[in-house]
Amino acid sequence: MPALIAGMIITIALAIVSLFVGVSDVSLASLLSGGWEGRPGEVLLISRIPRTVALVLAGASMAISGLVMQMIVRNRFVEPGTTGTSESAALGFLVVTIFAPGWPLMAKMAVAALFALGGTALFLRVLRAVPLRDVLLVPLVGIMLGGIVGAIGAFIAYRTSLMGSMLAWNMGDFSGVLRGRYELMWFGLAGCILAYIAADRFTVAGMGKDFTTNLGLNHRSVMILGLVIVSVVSAVVLVSVGSIPFLGLIVPNVVSMLIGDNMRRTVPWVAVGGAGMVLACDIVGRLIRYPYEIPISVVMGVVGSMLFLYLLLRTPRGAK
Amino acid sequence: MTTLFRTSSLAAALIAGTMALTPAAFAQDKVITHAQGETTISGVPAKVLVQDWATLDNLAALGVPVAGVPSSNAPGYLADAIPADVLPLGSLFEPDFEGIAASEADVYFVSGRSAAAYETGKDILPTIDLSVNNTAIIDGLKENLTKLGEIFDKQDKAAELIANVDAKVADAKAAAEGKGTALVLVTNAGKLGVYGPDSRVSWVYNEVGMPSALDSVKDGDHGGDAVTFEFLLEVNPDWVFVVDRDAGTTENTGAAQALLDNELFNQTTAAKEGQIVYLDAQAAYITMNGYQAVTLLLDQVIAGLQK
Repeated sequence: MPALIAGMIITIALAIVSLFVGVSDVSLASLLSGGWEGRPGEVLLISRIPRTVALVLAGASMAISGLVMQMIVRNRFVEPGTTGTSESAALGFLVVTIFAPGWPLMAKMAVAALFALGGTALFLRVLRAVPLRDVLLVPLVGIMLGGIVGAIGAFIAYRTSLMGSMLAWNMGDFSGVLRGRYELMWFGLAGCILAYIAADRFTVAGMGKDFTTNLGLNHRSVMILGLVIVSVVSAVVLVSVGSIPFLGLIVPNVVSMLIGDNMRRTVPWVAVGGAGMVLACDIVGRLIRYPYEIPISVVMGVVGSMLFLYLLLRTPRGAK
Repeated sequence: MTTLFRTSSLAAALIAGTMALTPAAFAQDKVITHAQGETTISGVPAKVLVQDWATLDNLAALGVPVAGVPSSNAPGYLADAIPADVLPLGSLFEPDFEGIAASEADVYFVSGRSAAAYETGKDILPTIDLSVNNTAIIDGLKENLTKLGEIFDKQDKAAELIANVDAKVADAKAAAEGKGTALVLVTNAGKLGVYGPDSRVSWVYNEVGMPSALDSVKDGDHGGDAVTFEFLLEVNPDWVFVVDRDAGTTENTGAAQALLDNELFNQTTAAKEGQIVYLDAQAAYITMNGYQAVTLLLDQVIAGLQK
């Protein structure tokens, strides 16, 4: 518990740093002299606080959806980016952009979430047909499926000259976040809370279908709940800021290495860790080429791929 | 029609005459120096392929018909210049070389995005690269018009077009005089970038002479450098020129207006004074350096500044 509190303090400190990093001069002194009416106060309210909140929500909810995904698939190396979920959400967003460009963002997001749901369900269906449940085979199947869905999306985008927009959606970037433009992400918080409430069920479901049924739990409904959480979170983040790679993979794995697999215990850790990691990467992206920005998905890609390699290559404990 | 027939028969007679007198001189070879070397053209090319919208734009302005054009991203303002039975040549980045080889055309123009096609193209048919340096788009345009005028024996028309460009640039300069600073923004799928004095819209700064609101803007060659609305608020340009990339590559319009209508941007001088000019996105983003594109954009800039 003290360790969790320490983690929370670090994340809160990062959030505070995030509030004071940017092009406009926002500092405690300028805030005190200008008040809420002055420019520093306005920038803080309109731009900095929304961005920081969006970062926390995106980080926590993406990390948790990775955790949920790993529980229901029973594999450590999956996350929405390696199961075709993100690609399906992007495909849905693309389709609705083509056929109903005038729809409100909320409706577009709902379509993206439905596609994400369909894509993830397809992934689970394909997995059932894979006889060998090798640890690395599962994410490979997912990456291939994601590749196929992504290719369909790329084809449609190419034919409709939407390639540039498609690339922009696939690139997570918080530079456009302002008051009034991120609020959909609160759905991510709903997903986190739902995951926490149902944590014990996911832990049990993670032990397999027969085991779950023996304990009197409906395996199918737990799976569906998990799918819904993962799909909604992926769609919300994609529509609001674009996709963020590796997050759902790295954070739950690191947490699991540190404190084990009991989901009721890991959910707060994963949420805090995800938020902290996204905050740190975004702050780095804002500082490297100041006053311009480097999209968070680039920073996360570099940091995440290194951590991912480490996770893959590290010697299992006790194997020496 | 009769005039055309007469001219061409006259030309045929002339050519036949020249042939009879000095067979060696018939070829009338012109050596065209261009971005990737030298290419020899015999006579005036009749069947022309372009893998680039700016060149099509220039040829249309010169009154030269084309036989083949790229099959994607055709700018709307050039719709009339594309014949119905035109040969599609593949995308700007991936030319259909089989079709190009089978076309038996006399000349093939590449440029900019399609410049890489030169290597393959030059082995198939006379290929000319008309790429233009982004930092000197107007000069590059004038050079290309001169070159095309020479190739197609339309020197007079080319000179006339060049004079028009110069006049437009002068008008724009006069209109921009003392109007304050400018920033060129590109919007793409809800994201924001700035273009600097080395970018594809450099002419706003270098030629029209509107000082950049921020002198350190680096070359934003593709989507521009990503920035926040806070950045715009601090840089506070007097004028903003917007290239709506979504509108440039698709039918979607109004995305840029919706993106820029927010609490921070609305506080900048440009927004408060209504000094925002939405450029023709296809001309600015797709064509960039064609005659009609440049004059269209300059007209928009002049109209915007004089408002």
